Amino acid sequence: MTAAVSRAIMVLAVCCMGESRREWSAAMQAEFETAVIDGKPLLFAVGCLTAAWRELITAEEGRFVLTNYALVLGLMVPVAALQIGCALFGLPYLYPGRHGLSGALLEGGAHEALVRSIYLAAIPSLALLQLLIGFGHLRLGWAMLERDWAGVTRLATLTLAAVATLVLFMSVLFLNSTQALWQGAVLVIELVTVFIVARWHAHLSPPAGTERPG
Amino acid sequence: MKETGLSSGTLYPLLMRMTDQGLVEAEWREPAQPGRPARHAYRLTAAGFALALQMPGDGENLPLKGSFA
Repeated sequence: MTAAVSRAIMVLAVCCMGESRREWSAAMQAEFETAVIDGKPLLFAVGCLTAAWRELITAEEGRFVLTNYALVLGLMVPVAALQIGCALFGLPYLYPGRHGLSGALLEGGAHEALVRSIYLAAIPSLALLQLLIGFGHLRLGWAMLERDWAGVTRLATLTLAAVATLVLFMSVLFLNSTQALWQGAVLVIELVTVFIVARWHAHLSPPAGTERPG
Repeated sequence: MKETGLSSGTLYPLLMRMTDQGLVEAEWREPAQPGRPARHAYRLTAAGFALALQMPGDGENLPLKGSFA
């Protein structure tokens, strides 16, 4: 049991170490095997986790990792949850009037009979688009944590295109795309933040063959 | 690590800082016994040794070449 917990702590410690500390992670793991043989794996693993956390706070790369996780967990995941919630449960944020899907269908309204069939045909597609935007956010967050910036660019482009489509269709259908425009604005803020984080990572990890000053 | 009496949470940050500052260098070595993992060994560089000699008290106890881990 102690060995399993210790190994789990070691995995966490290695994950917390930055890319420039890969060799140190390997050194810790090698020494951990000796600590297991010596019967003190937990003490050693906790020490390694403490060392990794110190690195996170004191080194620029560590601060980058913390910022990246904070951005994904604090912004991308909540926005994804909101998008998926809007798509699946008809939350009031997507459709004009803040009355959810029933409000969009103008239930009980004078125009319901005129527009109901059109809306019924269009809303599943819009909801599906909204769902894709939500899952796109989740995948975007995952790519950020993996520091796959090519993937982030591809997903960001697709998400932006999906939001633009949503805004256009909502403008035409509902003659009111305020809610979708808000979502577009949030996405633009997200993408600007992602761009800044990607630039920061490029600064920390310059391409091979180029030297970083200092 | 046993020789220093320091915990891994203290020793590794120190070694990383000293390596960054060019005072210590590290290298991988073959395991002492078959089946054991390779060892990450550390030793003072010339700059590290010179700095250590300036420290009061412990200069005479410095190893010319030592493995801490």
